[in-house]
Amino acid sequence: MSDSYVIIGDGIAGASAAETLREEAPDAEITVLTDEGESLYNRILIKEYAKGKLPEAPISIHQESWYDDHDVDLRLNTVVVDIDVENDAVHTHEGETFEYDSLLLAVGGTPQQLPVGNADAEGIHHFWTFQDARNIKESVEDAERAVIVGAGLLGIDFAAICGAQDVEAKYLMRGDNWWRYALSEEGAEIMHEAMRERGVEPVFDSGVDRFEVDDDGHVEAAVDPNGERYECDFAGVAIGLNFNTELVEDTPIETEDGIVVDEFMRTNVDNVYAAGDITTFNDLILGERAKNGSWGSAKEQGTIAARNMLDYGSDEFEWVSSYSITHFDFPFLSFGHPTLGDDSVEATTAEGEWRRVALKDGKVVGGVLIGDLSPQSAFKQLMREGRDVTGQEDLLMEPGFSVDDLAAATEQQ
Amino acid sequence: MSLRETNRSMRLRRTGLIPSDTRVRHYDELDEEAQATVRELAGRPQTAPEADDLDDGDVVKFTDYYEVRAR
Ligand SMILES: Cc1cc2nc3c(=O)[nH]c(=O)nc-3n(C[C@H](O)[C@H](O)[C@H](O)COP(=O)(O)OP(=O)(O)OC[C@H]3O[C@@H](n4cnc5c(N)ncnc54)[C@H](O)[C@@H]3O)c2cc1C
Repeated sequence: MSDSYVIIGDGIAGASAAETLREEAPDAEITVLTDEGESLYNRILIKEYAKGKLPEAPISIHQESWYDDHDVDLRLNTVVVDIDVENDAVHTHEGETFEYDSLLLAVGGTPQQLPVGNADAEGIHHFWTFQDARNIKESVEDAERAVIVGAGLLGIDFAAICGAQDVEAKYLMRGDNWWRYALSEEGAEIMHEAMRERGVEPVFDSGVDRFEVDDDGHVEAAVDPNGERYECDFAGVAIGLNFNTELVEDTPIETEDGIVVDEFMRTNVDNVYAAGDITTFNDLILGERAKNGSWGSAKEQGTIAARNMLDYGSDEFEWVSSYSITHFDFPFLSFGHPTLGDDSVEATTAEGEWRRVALKDGKVVGGVLIGDLSPQSAFKQLMREGRDVTGQEDLLMEPGFSVDDLAAATEQQ
Repeated sequence: MSLRETNRSMRLRRTGLIPSDTRVRHYDELDEEAQATVRELAGRPQTAPEADDLDDGDVVKFTDYYEVRAR
C-alpha cells in the first residue's frame, strides 16, 4: 500500500508541499484539506484586485482541475477541528476522518481584531483571503472616507487600496512613524510622503480607542486615545496575525508563537510537519528560533517539508526571506529580520533612497531598502555566509555596495 | 534538454491593461536571478539575458505592471 499524506491548508506552503510530494512520490496518496471555498490563489496579488488594478482570473494559481490532473484529493470548505496524533487521524467539522502516515500543518494565521468597542462592526475590514479582498473592493468603492490602523506591511496595503480607489484616508499610527520597529523617522518619511501623495494622511501618536457605528451598525467614525474623532465609512485593520495553533492545543505538538519545527520542518511528533507562516523554525542563519511571514519563505518551507516527509533529514531550510512593497513609483524591500539585532547602520544614499541594516554580533540579520534595491542580493549573501562586518559597517551604506568591497578578513568566521 | 532557448534577451514594457488570461507574477514570487533582472530593466529601455523564471508574455508587478518581451 502506498503512503498517505494529509495536508491541512491550501495556501502556498500546503500547495507547494503537495506539488513536491506528487513530483517525488508518484504513487503517494495525497489529500489537501482547506476551510476556504477556493483552491490555491496568489495571496500576494489580492491587494491588486482590491485596488481595481487586476481582474480575478490571473490571481488563481491552481484551478480545481490541477488537483484531478495530479491525483490530489482536494476538499474545499473543510475545517479540520481535531488532530489525533496517537491514531494518526484528523477530524473535520462535518465528522469526516482522514487517516495519515504523515501530516503537514500549513494552516497560517488569522488577522487579529482590535480589542476595542465595535471592532466587528460592518465596514471594518481585515485582510487575509481572496473573499476579504472582494469585500474590501466592494466596500471601498462606495466609501468616501476611510480609517486605517496597523503601521506595518499589511496596513500599507489598505493605504494603497484607498489611494488607488480615491478614498481619503487617515492612517492612525501608535508611534511617530510607520513600521517603527524596522525604520527610523528618516526612512519612514519617504513612505509617509508617498501615502500623502495618494490622499492618505498619516496621523502619529494615535490609534483607535473605539469605533462608533450608525443605527444600522455600520462604522461611522474611529475615536483615537487622544479623543480625536475621525469620520469614516470604511476601516481597514491590520494589526497582526493570530497563528492558528488552537488546532494542536490538545496534542503534544510544541508551540511557541506558532508550531515549533526543526530545520527539516518536523515538529516534536515524528510524523507531523509544519510549513509556512505557522512555523517557529530553527533558523540556521540566525542561529535561533525565528518566524517568517512571506510568500517565498512559505513556498520554500512547503517544498522542504515535503522532501523530509518522504525522507527525513534529506533537505534543510536555510533561507533569507524578503518582502517588497510595490505600490509606489519607488520600490521598498525588507529582508531577513529587520526588527531584530543589537545594532544597526542607516543612511540616505541619494534623494529618495534610504537603507538600514540590522546587525547582531557584527553580522547582518536583516534590513530595509527604499528606492534602490540593488544591494539586495549582496546583503542576502552576507547573511547566508554569516560574514562578520565589524568595523566595516559604513561600507554597507555605499551606493554601489558589493560583497567584494569587504576586506577578505571578514570571510566566513 | 531544456525547452527554453538559452540565447534570448528580454526587456520589460510598461503595461496598464491586463487581460484575464495573462500570467501575472509579483516581484516577491520570482527567484533571485529574475528579481535582479526586473530591477535592472524596469523603467529602462534596455535588454538583458532572459531570466529562467520569466516567460515571454508574463506580466510582472513591480513598481508598475511590466510585460515581459523575450526575443
Ligand atoms: C493582503 C496580503 C498581502 C501580502 N503581501 C505580501 C507580499 O507582498 N510579499 C510577501 O512575500 N508576502 C506577502 N504576504 C504574506 C504571504 O501571503 C504569506 O506569508 C503566505 O501566503 C503564507 O502562506 P501559508 O501557506 O503559510 O499560509 P496561508 O496562505 O495563510 O494558508 C493557510 C491556509 O490554511 C487554511 N486553514 C487554516 N486553518 C485551517 C483548518 N483548521 N482547517 C482547514 N484549513 C485551514 C487557511 O484558511 C488558509 O487557506 C501578504 C499577505 C496578505 C494577506
